[in-house]
Amino acid sequence: MTTAAPLTTDPNSEAFYSGALVRISRFMLVLAAALTAAAWWRYGWRIALGFLCGSAVAYLNFHWLKRVVSALADRATQPGQVHSSRGVVLRFLLRYVLMGLGAYVIFTVSPASLYGLFAGLFLPVAAIACEAAYEMGVALKSGF
Amino acid sequence: MRRLLSYLFMALAFMFLAVPVFAQGGETASAVNWVAIAAGFSMAIASAVCGLAQGRATAAAAEALGRNPAARSGIQFALILGLALIESLALYTLVIIFAKVK
Repeated sequence: MTTAAPLTTDPNSEAFYSGALVRISRFMLVLAAALTAAAWWRYGWRIALGFLCGSAVAYLNFHWLKRVVSALADRATQPGQVHSSRGVVLRFLLRYVLMGLGAYVIFTVSPASLYGLFAGLFLPVAAIACEAAYEMGVALKSGF
Repeated sequence: MRRLLSYLFMALAFMFLAVPVFAQGGETASAVNWVAIAAGFSMAIASAVCGLAQGRATAAAAEALGRNPAARSGIQFALILGLALIESLALYTLVIIFAKVK
């Protein structure tokens, strides 16, 4: 009779992936601040406020997505333990409610800000693109 | 009873059809806003396809995690990025709809 080997994870890859997620979150914060200031200067405070709201919703959305995926991974890798799925599902659905509510409030208060809100919702995509550029730069610098 | 209900629903369906048929007569009938109709369909299709894609990605990641729990960090990272990018596709559709439909 053999016993199952303990699960081991590669510390290098663990550090790389957790570092990448932290970097993406930081890129989102930096981009939100910089682009809000740029929108204020270029289009006025209404669009900038919409962009800031969209960025906040996108940041929260990404944060909750990370937590939901982490909870899902816990359930998949530790099948013996009982986890409550209510919070996970609630948080997953709350993301859409929050996004819809933000869009509705801005649409009723100031329709001009709606374009700023939509631009802010694309913040994770911009942050992922920045992370890809950063990793490419690091790889080029280290000579692959 | 079942036959009666089927007749009732058929009559209701005819009544719903009859309203736009009568409304189309005359010179003052407004043109159909095909852009709005197409926007509704395109948003529905985009949402459905994004939902399917997210479901498939999550199912594949859960299966991969079950097979190889040691690769958790990589699978989790890929799943987060995949879900974020898939969600953005539905947002692209929404933005295009808002840009086209005034």
